[in-house]
Order: sequence, then C-alpha cells, then structure tokens
Amino acid sequence: MSLTATATITRAKRRGRKAGWRQITASQAFLLPATIIFIVLFIVPLGQSFWWSLTDFTGYNPNPNFIGFANYATILQDPSMLAGLLFTLLFAVGTTVLITALAIPLAVQLNKVFFGRNLVRSLWFFPAIPSMAILGLVWRYILSPLDSGVVNSVLVKLGLDSVGWLSTDALAKVSVIVVGVWAATGWHAVLYTAYLQSIPAEYYEVAKIDGATSRQQFFGITLPLLTPAMVISTFLLMTGGLKVFDLPYTLTNGGPGFSTYTITQSIVVSGVGQGRYGLASALAVLFTFAVGILSFSQLALTKVIERRFS
Amino acid sequence: MNKRPLLAAAALLAAVPLALSGCSSSDDGADGKTTITFLSWTGEEQMTPILDAFSKAHPEIKVDVSYSPPVAEYIQTLQTQVLSGIAPDVFLVAAENKTNLIEGGHMLDLSGEDFVKNVEPFNMNTYGRDGAQYGLSLSSWAAGYAYNEDLLAEVGATGIPETWDEFLDLCEKLQDAGITPFLESVDQMPTTLSAMIGAKSHSMDPTLDDLIFSGESTFEAEWTGALTEYNKLYTEGLVSPDVVALDGDMVRDEFAAGRVAIINAGPWIINPVKEAAPDLNWSFGKIPAIDGGEPFVAGAASPGYAINSASDEAHQEAAKVFLSWLASPEGVETFQAQTGDVTVTSDFEPPVDPVFTTMGESIRNGELYLPMISWQRSEDVLNVEAVAQIQRMIQGQSTPQEVAQALDAKLAAS
Repeated sequence: MSLTATATITRAKRRGRKAGWRQITASQAFLLPATIIFIVLFIVPLGQSFWWSLTDFTGYNPNPNFIGFANYATILQDPSMLAGLLFTLLFAVGTTVLITALAIPLAVQLNKVFFGRNLVRSLWFFPAIPSMAILGLVWRYILSPLDSGVVNSVLVKLGLDSVGWLSTDALAKVSVIVVGVWAATGWHAVLYTAYLQSIPAEYYEVAKIDGATSRQQFFGITLPLLTPAMVISTFLLMTGGLKVFDLPYTLTNGGPGFSTYTITQSIVVSGVGQGRYGLASALAVLFTFAVGILSFSQLALTKVIERRFS
Repeated sequence: MNKRPLLAAAALLAAVPLALSGCSSSDDGADGKTTITFLSWTGEEQMTPILDAFSKAHPEIKVDVSYSPPVAEYIQTLQTQVLSGIAPDVFLVAAENKTNLIEGGHMLDLSGEDFVKNVEPFNMNTYGRDGAQYGLSLSSWAAGYAYNEDLLAEVGATGIPETWDEFLDLCEKLQDAGITPFLESVDQMPTTLSAMIGAKSHSMDPTLDDLIFSGESTFEAEWTGALTEYNKLYTEGLVSPDVVALDGDMVRDEFAAGRVAIINAGPWIINPVKEAAPDLNWSFGKIPAIDGGEPFVAGAASPGYAINSASDEAHQEAAKVFLSWLASPEGVETFQAQTGDVTVTSDFEPPVDPVFTTMGESIRNGELYLPMISWQRSEDVLNVEAVAQIQRMIQGQSTPQEVAQALDAKLAAS
C-alpha cells in the first residue's frame, strides 16, 4: 500500500475513533443524571447502612461509636432473630411452591372459554388489590380462636370444636402461609394466563390429532412453554416472600411467641422502632446478602430449566 | 457497542422524593410575635381548640403546629428531625423515645419551673431521671378489669374480689355456671401482670426496677412469683390458652355481647361498649392482690410535653409559657374537654365517667404501673421479649421462671 493511502487510512481511523469517543461521551452524558440518582439513592444509603451496622447508632446521635462486628454477633445469638429468619424462609419457600402449584392449573382453567369467565377472573384477582395489612386485619377476625370467630362459628354450628387457628405455633404458621397463598394465587394465575395465550393453538391441535390426553398435553406442551412465566413468577414470589412484613405483622404480630416473626419485623420493630439503628442496619445487611444469594441461585437454576425446555 | 446500564432504568424508575416533612426552625414575625414550633401527638381535631384557647390567652406567641400520629410514626418523625437538627421547640416524650432523648440531652430540665408544681409527681418523674424532669405529662391512663354485673350476680358476686385467690375461685364458679369467666388480650403486656408487679413495686423503696436495673436484683427474683400466680389462670384451666391470639378489640366485643364476665380494659372501651350494649350493667374494678398486697391497676403517665434544649433562649421561654398555660386550670380543662383524659393537676378536678370512678382515684394518686414505662433502659427490647415469652408460658412451652430468666438474659445482652 502507498504511503498516501496508509496515511489516508490512518487519518480516517483517527477520525473514526474521535467520532466514536464523541458518541460514547455523549451517550454517557445522558446517563449521568440516572447514574447520580442511582448513586445517591442506592449506593450511598447502602454504604451508610453498612457503616451504621458497625456502630452503636441509635438514630439520635450523629456521631455514633465504632463497635466492629458486635451487632452481627448479637444477631447470630438472638433467638428471636434466628426464629424470624427461619419463618421468613419457610414463608417464602412455602408460598412460592404452593402458589406456583395452584396458579398454573387455575390459569389453565381461566384460559378456557366459559360463561362468566371475566367475572371469575376478576374474583380470583381481587385479593391482590387490597393492601396485605388490611387483609391481615380482616383474616385475624375470620380466624379468631373464639367460638364467635367467623370460621369457628361455622364449626361450632356443625357440632365441632372451635380451633385456635392463630393461637398455636404450627397453626399460626400455616394460617399466615395460607392467607399469603390465597392473596397471591389469583395474581399469578393471571400472569400465567397471559403466557398461555401466547402458546400457539396448533400445538394442542396436533397433539390432539396424535391422540395425546389432556394430562399429556399439560405436561408435554403447557408446562414446558410456561417455563419463562415460571421464572418470573417464582422470582417475584421468592423475593416478595423474603421481604414479607405487613401480613404476619397484622395477622399475628409475629406470635404466638416468635413463631411467625419475620426478618423484616426484626428490622422494623426490634431495630428501627427501638432506636437500635446499628443493629437494624446489621440485620438489613445480612438480609440483603441472604436475599441476593437466594435470588441469584434461583435465577441460575430456573435459567437452566428454561434452557432445557426451550 | 455500549451496553445499556441496568442502573439507568432502575434509577429513573426509583425516583423517590428526598424531602422530609417536618418543622423548619421557628421564625419570628415582623409583628413582634414569637413563633414556636410544635409537633403534636394529639390529632388536629382535638388539638386545634386547645391551641386556639392558648392563642387567645397569649396572643404574643404563635404556635406553628404539625401533626404526626402516635406511636411509631411520631417516634420516627421526631427522631429524624432530632438527627437532622430541625426538631421543633416543643414535642412529646414517650416511653419509646425517652431514654434516647434523655441520654442525648435533647430536652430541657423542667424540674424548677412553677408550672410543674401542681402536676402529680408520678407523672413528672415518669419522664425524668436523677431528679431532673423533662416531660410535662398532664394525664394518665389506667387499665383494670371491666366486669358484667349481671353475670357476676348469677354466682352471687357483686364485684371484683380483692385477693387473687378469691378471684380464681370466682372464675371457677363462673365456669361451673357455664359462663366464660375471664378473657385478657395478650398481644401486649398483660394488664393483670402489670398490676401485680406494680403493686409489689409500689410498696418497695428502692423500687423493684431500681433494684433490677442497678444489678442488685433480677427479673427472676422479682417477677417469678407474680408470673406463677398469673399463670394459674391457664394451668388451672380457667382461661383458654387461645387468648394469645386475641387483641383488645376482640375481647371488648365479647364483653359487649355478654359472652364473658370479666375482661382487662381501660377507658377506651367505655364509649364502644356503651354504643354496642347500652343496656349492659357493668363497671371497672382493680386487679386483685397477691401476697397480701393491695389491689392495683396497670397504667402510665401520658406522654409529656418537652422543650427542645437546642432551641434558642427566646423560643425556650416562649415554649415555657405554652407549657405553663397547658398546665394551668384553664389549659387542663380545655385539654380534658378535648381528649377525655383523666388529668392529674391538683387545681383541676376532671369529670370521670361513673363506671371509671374507682380507676380515676388511682390515676390522680399516681398509683399505676406499666413495665415498659418504668424500665430504665432497653424498654422496647424487653417489652417485645416479655410479651413473646409470656405467650409461650401461656401455651405451656415455658415456665414462669424461664420467662423471667429470658428477661434477665435480654437485659444482659442489650
């Protein structure tokens, strides 16, 4: 190649790199406000929480004392906080499994054409509308252990003994999970219904022609093609379940004892409410790591399953 | 090719208002009025007539009021303002924040002021420490037993017995007659236990909590006896352990419906019960005594009005004028008319509902006790632990001694 051509090519490359840098700089400049907001609203508070977790910050003194990992040691030795962690995990996993198991068949039924389908869909979706705190208060009355409680009054009329739905550890845990499942199943069924409508009808027609039964169609066509929806639904359920606060707080207040105590209740009540921001921050940091590990693990697993079925 | 950063979309969607609501530092107007800021715990509907009356009595002082509902929201709002250095000139000190506010030196000592002299010392000392008094508490609340006179009459009883053994006998008689004898909500510190501990502490000097918190005694030594007596309600089968799932409203509704003879209750049930059951014959009584003591009641001084120690002298003086008026006969009368509280100043006799007369005396004499108000540190921590452990005891999962030991362990760790 001649020297002139080489120089021309070099100048063109330089102009191209300059134009490329200008383009990069311009697009980065547009991202700057969002970056600043992210840093100010997320990174800084996160860092501040981590710093406070290493101090005895009460929320009143702007100059707390550094105490190292003492807050973390307190958490790991506190029976109430360990109880909160266990029930939070039970609630998250329990509601995820139950809601997924119920919402998919429900979605299949709601996807069929029948009289009053829209009304039925609305009724199933309705529990997702009121706040969980309101639902907790309402269900507290429904599940009252007194003979005059809604459920118990029916049992008593049928000649049965009333049941302490919220007054024994095991039943209280079951009650919280059942109410959580009841509140969210409809919403997730609607999510699955939307994905079902994207499955081509021809698949089912071909399957029918080939003599596949409804069960075979469900497990061979519906379930594999619903995998992307399951990834989203289970991710939302797990993260929502791990963060649960208002439902157990209003339904059982974390009791009886600490049987339905949650991590978020520990953070809010034991930490923030009691002016122990250092401890609450340490709990929040541990919780963030735990949720992050669980969530990323779940995403990785569901991605493997999705690839398997796609 | 640049990747689109995830943070851009997340940050844009997560725009959250940064401004905190709160009082700015008080400003004085050009008309010579001093303006003080006040964060009220009492709602606007009740507080406005009180502030209007103050304004008429002291037109030279303007009160710039803002509201935050009790309890958690108020405590957090005030805490944020204190931390930010924008706390109002006057605010409320309550059980939940008194330790932090006292230890942080955020309140003015009111003990030498003229306007506290007519206030019941129990109330002033509730929000004080080592002789200093930080909160002007104008009223108290008390809780005891509400009883259905007709149901008690069916077994020949005319009121709440004075001793605990007699009370247990009464419950047994009611149960044998097919009447639910007693219900108590255990979603908070049981009224019965508070009164039993209070009766013991009232007769001690130094008090029971002075001994525990100074390390000279323990919860195990001081509380086990009362816990054991209280637990007899459940170990003797007189009350169902299902009470751990009840709240005050459920218990009140059972009482109003005539389905239970005796419940734990305070003045907050008077209007709802009268509305739900206007023909119900009922009254209040004190908690029966154990160990040869006197019947007692649970209760506490209402939150106290405090003056910000960081305010300048002019605003502190104006705030003192405000507090002085609140504690005056005119102020207390206006306050009582709006809130219905039983006030505790010696120069004003508040009207008390006839069903509540017995309890009114205890309030005016400061013969009340509530563990969380009386404890000297880690109040909330201990209260959460105590309620949970007592629920476990009622369920039969632990003994009274273990409950007390758990409190000792919690105190040691906090």
